[in-house]
Formats: sequence, C-alpha cells, structure tokens
Amino acid sequence: MAEFTLPKNSKIKPGRKVDAAKGAKRKKTFKVYRYDPEDKQNPRLDEFTIDLDQCGPMVLDAIIHIKNDIDSTLTFRRSCREGICGSCAMNIDGRNTLACLKPIAEVSGDVKITPLPHMPVVKDLVPDLNHAYAQYASVEPWMKTETPAPTRERLQSPEDADRLNGTDGKGPSGCILCFCCSTSCPSYWWNPDKFLGPAILLNAWRWITDTRDEATGERLDQLDDAFKLYRCHTIMNCTNACPKDLNPAKSIAEIKKLMVERQT
Amino acid sequence: MTDHRILTPMKRAKGLGGGHSGVPHWMNQRITALANIPLVIWLIYSVMKLAGANYLEFTTWLSHPLHAGLMILLIVSIFYHATLGLQVIYEDYISCKCLKLTKIIGAKLFFIALGVACIFSTLKVALS
Repeated sequence: MAEFTLPKNSKIKPGRKVDAAKGAKRKKTFKVYRYDPEDKQNPRLDEFTIDLDQCGPMVLDAIIHIKNDIDSTLTFRRSCREGICGSCAMNIDGRNTLACLKPIAEVSGDVKITPLPHMPVVKDLVPDLNHAYAQYASVEPWMKTETPAPTRERLQSPEDADRLNGTDGKGPSGCILCFCCSTSCPSYWWNPDKFLGPAILLNAWRWITDTRDEATGERLDQLDDAFKLYRCHTIMNCTNACPKDLNPAKSIAEIKKLMVERQT
Repeated sequence: MTDHRILTPMKRAKGLGGGHSGVPHWMNQRITALANIPLVIWLIYSVMKLAGANYLEFTTWLSHPLHAGLMILLIVSIFYHATLGLQVIYEDYISCKCLKLTKIIGAKLFFIALGVACIFSTLKVALS
C-alpha cells in the first residue's frame, strides 16, 4: 500500500537547541531538519534561535547566517538568492517554496524548515533530484525539427512567443525546475517512478506548444499513458505551490485537451 | 521505490514507456460522470415520488419503457464509472504489482456481475 506514515528510520526526533540570540531585540527560532546518512541516526529537528538584526530579511538569509556563524555542518543548496536558479527550494512553514523569496516576517511563530517532501534526502535540506532530472531529460526538452534549420532565425510571432512566455510573463517557459510543484503533488508522492509530475509535464507542454517544434505528435505519444500523464487528478497543489506563480495544472489540462483533440 | 536493480536514472525515468491507453479511460470516466448527474437526479426524484408505494405500484412504474430504460442506463453508467474510478484508486495507492492487478481485475468482475444482476432484475420486472 501507499505509505502514509514515515518509516521507522525516517521518524523525526527532537534535536539540539542553540540560542545564538542572547540579549537580542528581535529573536526568531528556526526548526531545521537535520539528517546525515553517515551517522546512521534518525533525522532530527534542530532549533536555532537567532538575532534577526544579524541577517537579511529572507529565510535563506537566516539559514546562511546559521551556517556561517552557528553550525557550519548545516547543508542546503543555494546559488542566486533571487528566485532564478531554483536551488533553495524547501518546505518552509508547511509550504514548498524558495527560501530566497520567502520573507521571515511572513512566518508567524517558529520557522519550521524541512526538505522538499517525499524525495530521498542526501543530507539535511538537500533532496536527491537525480530521478526528477532524468524525468526532465526523458521528455527531450529541446527543439526537434525535420525541416532543415533556416539560414537565419526560426520565425516566431509575438503571439507565438506568448504561448511560451505568457502574456503576463508567467507562461511555461518561466519554470526554473525547483520542483516545489512536483514535490507538493500527492500523485507524485505515491507514484514518483511512473508519474512525470507537474514540473516535467509543464516543461513537456512548453515544447508541445512551441510553434517552431515539429515533434508534437511524438511528444504526445510519449505522454499518452495512464501513469505518465493521467496520474494528475487536478489536485492543483502544483499551482498553489509554484514560487514563480506559474500554472502547471493548466499546462497539464492543455496536454489532456490535445490528447482528446487528436482523436476526434 | 523498492526496485533494487542497478539502473541509470534515465532507465528508471523512461520505465516501460507510454502505454497509449490513457485517453479512453480518462474520457469514459468524464462521460459517465456527466451522464450520472441527470440519472442520479432522476433516481432521487423517482425514489421520493415512489415513497410509500406498494409492490404493485413500484413494478408498474418500473414496467414503463422510459423508467426501465433510464434504470438500465443508470446501472451501466454508475457501475462503469465505479469500475474506472476504483481502478484509479488502486493504481494510486497500491504499490504491490500483484495485489494491484488482482484488485483491478476483481473490481471489474464484481461490477460486471453486479451490473448484469441489476439489469436482469430490471428487465424481469419490466417485462413480466
């Protein structure tokens, strides 16, 4: 059956408490998931109380402060710190989002931080995304044409470009592959091996709807499967979770519409 | 994932490839869902209207071609929808391949048997 509770060795135990904000005016406690596969221990939730005047306004600033000044063993991914790279995706205060875009002030009470749900954990807040990346590669996210490449650029009208970028800039090409959506999707939790998940399907749609791409039928053939596409039950957690305000659920619905259209 | 074979991430991601059978299942589930709306409203209306009726009144009601026809359509639509829906639930939540297949086949046989029994009963009343 599907696993609705954590296996014994994944149950989260209370961790150590560090008060690094003695005498501070603005304190905040961060409860951070810690797991090290090498120490053979269960994961734990460490509590760091920090002085908010010692770090920037975002959750990423706080965990960088914790790593730099309190516990250098804390492990997480981050790069651009401005919502472009998608590296610092994690579950903050019960929602998948980017730590760099999440203001600490938006969280009332303690800030609980755990890795993206239902992914294997490499260490602390770092999930293993190998499978998700392979699924991304499996939809061949590049332009495929039979017509020989033109000598100049491939023509695309502004309206055609809008199909990718969206008239509001929130079209499928805005995806940064942070996997906040896929890891918030219960269907992806239960069947990650077969269901492609919202992030990959949104990117599949990005190439299906590209007017310059000539492999539409081939791409639809690949997705025509009870699991790869149709595990989506329009739960809509994906659209709710996307830190870039994209709409993966709509992209999936568009793919389903084309699936019907080509049979009628 | 309980597959312990040494496979590349791409081999795992591609799996067995597309089954090319998703569209009819998805469409039929939606078509029967739409059909169920008026049919169930009709059933509730009829049950309320027949409240307190005796056996003869009920069999006379069901003998009407319209009522018998709608009843058979309701049986087919509801049980077909239930079969499709249960299959999705089993596929979602049961990871053991053998148990999953057994459950899906079992549900299909169960609803086919139930549907045939219901249709036969309806016809028996309607045609007697």
